[in-house]
Amino acid sequence: MSDMWLPEDQDPRTAGNPQGEKANYVEYLANYRLTLGMKCDGLAPEELATRSVPPSSMSLLGLLRHMARVEHNWFQRTAQATGEDRIYWSPEDDDLDFNGAEPTQECVDDAFASWKRQTGAAEEWFAGIDESDLGRELPIAGHPDDVVSIRDLVVHMIEEYARHCGHADLLRECIDGRTGQ
Amino acid sequence: MSELEALRRWLDELRATVERKADGLSPEQLAARSVPPSDLSVLGLVRHLAQMEHYWFVLTLSRADEPQLYMPDGDWDAQFRDAVADAAVAVDAFDTWRAVRARADTVMDHLEPADLEFVWDPDDKVGSVRDALIQVIYEYSRHCGHLDLLREAIDGQTGE
Repeated sequence: MSDMWLPEDQDPRTAGNPQGEKANYVEYLANYRLTLGMKCDGLAPEELATRSVPPSSMSLLGLLRHMARVEHNWFQRTAQATGEDRIYWSPEDDDLDFNGAEPTQECVDDAFASWKRQTGAAEEWFAGIDESDLGRELPIAGHPDDVVSIRDLVVHMIEEYARHCGHADLLRECIDGRTGQ
Repeated sequence: MSELEALRRWLDELRATVERKADGLSPEQLAARSVPPSDLSVLGLVRHLAQMEHYWFVLTLSRADEPQLYMPDGDWDAQFRDAVADAAVAVDAFDTWRAVRARADTVMDHLEPADLEFVWDPDDKVGSVRDALIQVIYEYSRHCGHLDLLREAIDGQTGE
């Protein structure tokens, strides 16, 4: 894991040294979103949907759907109290994000479009948050008695992306042997 | 809760996650390359996490003059390659990791909130105290992802 996924001059991720707490979170989150997308580069729908590390039910496509759902849950349902239902979820299947990952172009296109839509909306919301506001607490969607600070919400997203990028590392290596950070 | 307190709480939760993911495994299971072709194992990752915390907190933030852990002559792969199915190797890895964590905690105990702003190299990819702490959290998180799948492949255990 000491190697990189792409040569430095082709890597879209930034390696600046942003000043301030919020700028750091923005850069880390942007880079891990890019990392998850890069782990899906060049794969066919069948590869994206394959459960390549059995007995785990995870697939790269399932991870994209899962992160669209997580972004929506935190940045829309909690941060902005939109009152919307979860996406890629049903009362009958709490794991619809993973279980519904089908090896079709339609499913892949839908997942990427949905994920991009959610990350765009999340970035737009966070851009409007003041650095001094990071400690502000928000009621958690679906858990009205619990609150989360904006700081914890964003650090949680970074941690969640990083953990799933760890899953993506092994899922991808088991598909075609490609590794790298 | 301050920024520093929040980051420390996240780090403690991730360390506890690693403890849970390794709990109850034999030396053979700890050293198993359970997701081939990957050469990662639970034991290799514990050694790597000890090396990683030592690198950031002891060598970088404290500027201690010590060799990097588990990397003889700078051999990065040794962290993982030399994670063999031997009880003494496993005991050493966990003892070392916990000892490094204690040293790291002492370093963080001495940080003031304003220290997070300190930049030692504006041109470095990770060049500030804040950046280093988030980097450590990121490292733990990504490796916890590896541990999730390694552990599930060993004995089916899943969970946060």
